[in-house]
Amino acid sequence: MDSFLASIGQYLFHFFGLVALAGALALVFARNAINSILGFLTCMLSVAACYLCLSAEFLAVAQLLVYAGGIVVLFLFVVMLVEMTKAREKAVFQKQAPYALVAVLAGAVAITGVFWRTWFAPNATEALTLPAGLGQGLNVATQNAQAVSRGIFASYLLPFEILSVILLVALVGAVILAKTERV
Amino acid sequence: MTSMNSVLFISFLLFSVGVAGVLIRRNILIILMCVELMLNAGNLNLVAFARHSGTVAGQAFALLVMGLAAAEVSIGLALVVALYRKKDSVQVDQINLLKG
Repeated sequence: MDSFLASIGQYLFHFFGLVALAGALALVFARNAINSILGFLTCMLSVAACYLCLSAEFLAVAQLLVYAGGIVVLFLFVVMLVEMTKAREKAVFQKQAPYALVAVLAGAVAITGVFWRTWFAPNATEALTLPAGLGQGLNVATQNAQAVSRGIFASYLLPFEILSVILLVALVGAVILAKTERV
Repeated sequence: MTSMNSVLFISFLLFSVGVAGVLIRRNILIILMCVELMLNAGNLNLVAFARHSGTVAGQAFALLVMGLAAAEVSIGLALVVALYRKKDSVQVDQINLLKG
């Protein structure tokens, strides 16, 4: 069983990556906003599975909680508040959509060319040499939550605290912006 | 063991789809979701590099980006609700309040 899992393990990432891509395409090209949200949800769940394949278990669970549990529900509420009361929109895409698609495709082809140069090289990506003091005494792959907590609460405490202030400001700002004008 | 290149390539494709969505859609809610998509593609890159380097810094920063995305989406949706009260529309080409 273990060898079977190990043998399919390397294909699982590709599978979930393709599912995420399909969800993203459904998000962009669906006519109905609810269908777009379902595509977004598919994409986020698949990205969480991709994190799992990349041995970032804590991040995968956080992705499930934050995106599938919070942000998708928030979007769903706003779509039901805003969209359902109006007649269907006539045009889904902007007037500049063909030009924008051409520009994005040109950029994508250019960067794919960069990938193409390194794709078939035997040692295309050398191991980075970063200071390994962060995960000292811990195995990042097997003690993921402990290692991430050491990263957040020891090495990057200041960005974490700044993030908490940003969340507080966003909370107050969202309440102020969305409340009705009443004296 | 998934190769670094395939992770980067899939995250690049996700980012491209997000950019295309921001550029071509008229609905501001879809545009917000596409911005989230781009942040997720960046997160995928961070996680890939964290695994590649064997340190945890990338995962810690991906977690911070996730919190930032939550703050951004709450502000964005509050703006959408406020704009909808003002203009009765969520189409970006009809929002021209600054035009006078």
